[in-house]
Amino acid sequence: MAETTFAELLEETTENSRMMDAPLGERLKAVADEVSRLSPEFAGVVARMVARLEASGVGQSAPQVGERMPDFVLPDEGGALVRLENLLERGPVVVSFHRGHWCPYCRLNADGLARIAPDLKRLGAQIVAISPETHRYAAELKSYANAPFPVLADVDGGYALELNLLFWVGDEKREAMQAGGFDIAPYQGNETWMLPIPATFIVGRDGLVKARYIDPDYRRRADLEVIVAAVGRLHAEAANMAQSAGLSGAGSSSAMARQAAPSRSSY
Amino acid sequence: MEMHQIRYFLAVTRTLNFTRAADECNVTQPSLTRAIKQLEAELGGDLFRRERPAAQLTELGQRMHPLLKQCFEAAVGARSLASSFKGGKVGTLRIAIADAVDLALLIPHLEQLKRLFNALEFKLLRGNSKQIGEYLKKGEAELGIAVEMDRDWDRLDSWPLFTEGFQLIVSDRHPLANRDSVEFDDLRTQQLLSRGYCEYAERLSARLRASDIDIDRSHDVSCEHDLIKLLEADIGIAIVPCSASMPDRLRRADIEGLDIRRTVQLFGVAGRERTAVASAIMKMLRSADWLAFTDPAGAPVREARPVLSIVAA
Repeated sequence: MAETTFAELLEETTENSRMMDAPLGERLKAVADEVSRLSPEFAGVVARMVARLEASGVGQSAPQVGERMPDFVLPDEGGALVRLENLLERGPVVVSFHRGHWCPYCRLNADGLARIAPDLKRLGAQIVAISPETHRYAAELKSYANAPFPVLADVDGGYALELNLLFWVGDEKREAMQAGGFDIAPYQGNETWMLPIPATFIVGRDGLVKARYIDPDYRRRADLEVIVAAVGRLHAEAANMAQSAGLSGAGSSSAMARQAAPSRSSY
Repeated sequence: MEMHQIRYFLAVTRTLNFTRAADECNVTQPSLTRAIKQLEAELGGDLFRRERPAAQLTELGQRMHPLLKQCFEAAVGARSLASSFKGGKVGTLRIAIADAVDLALLIPHLEQLKRLFNALEFKLLRGNSKQIGEYLKKGEAELGIAVEMDRDWDRLDSWPLFTEGFQLIVSDRHPLANRDSVEFDDLRTQQLLSRGYCEYAERLSARLRASDIDIDRSHDVSCEHDLIKLLEADIGIAIVPCSASMPDRLRRADIEGLDIRRTVQLFGVAGRERTAVASAIMKMLRSADWLAFTDPAGAPVREARPVLSIVAA
């Protein structure tokens, strides 16, 4: 029997999870559970890396709710330059950091974002995904998710580092990934083995962060319903402001604004 | 990792002295030390041996240095690009391109920059690889695109963009015009137009000679423009890289058994501050998908799929 790589085994799992009629959190958990079942060793390596990142508080100093989201100018998967400020002229932007097309969780996350894209569009908001991968692989993530949004190439993780979201995979995890068929160096066009924490920011038209989701455990992602609700609130506030002809109201704090390891039961 | 932690790390690496590094970064030494400790905790090991009189990089520190520097420079570049867009000044792009590399590679990227920033100015320099190296050394160009470059200068950074093969180009009136592929034997009686400006001209000639093709009856050509004119006039045939753009009237064919490949690389100067526009074009070139310019077989894909024995199916 031909030997199958771990990466290949997980492709089927990811596909099954994608078809599940369940919230994104459950679809992601199904993959995480399957990883633990297929290879307790690999799951152990993941747990150790996540614990190391949580202990060091990685991502905590990323832009907070109410702070300005740094502008970016990054090429999309087709090479077209995209600038955050230009997007904001049209409406709020959901900025979603991804590790890469090879990551089962990112695939499910991008697929989930594509599902809510029409809702967000109705609410006047746009989505951009950002990954450290070169165009060819950014295009693969986009096509896997059938995403109507761009997947921007942040080569060497420059923008992710500017936001304090970048981390080093480390030798143990790198070796486990390479052994499992996840050699990300050619996808990233460098040998740094640096990845962003898959954070999500909702940026208002004023350029300020309205909500953020940051979790060093890459197996968990921002809830899709929470993103839609947060964007819905921005939309409602904007409508109220337009109605009250310039009378401004303070932005409400968001359920998405939290640091790490949130419980999944609060929504 | 945080930007300031890496900035402090790089300062200590430069000065090998925590006090001087703190001065350089305008922070107190305890804050610098604390930040480095946090970085060490995240990376899972010490980066420095705190020895007197000078701090020394540990093995982990030495390994992490180029990686952290690369990401740090990318972040500084990302920040300065965004802020120069805001200020309306991205600077002048000064880029040197080897004679044997087609400018068409750069056009879509220049168009993108121009679309977002119509005040963009650029200075385009041409030359052989040696001259490209000189332009970079003297600072006349910030970036270079070339195939091979003498490594006599250790401050050259390079990033491979793509690897490609070579093809036969003939006039549409040529007897080989309608062939998808040819053999070395088909070239036996042909007059070759030799691209003297291509670093691979000599290697291609040697390969033909090895197949018993008489290339002594060849014409020497000094620029791509002349080459195209001569090809159009059907005065000879040429062997050019797949990425070279040719007018529609010229025809391409693969040459069976021609296994010579070249890698087009982007060059920059380490340690020199880059303009925002240079950082931008660098980022664009490095992330670009070059398949459209090369044959699919020439795509730089590393197909590494090792097997995880513990889950062997």
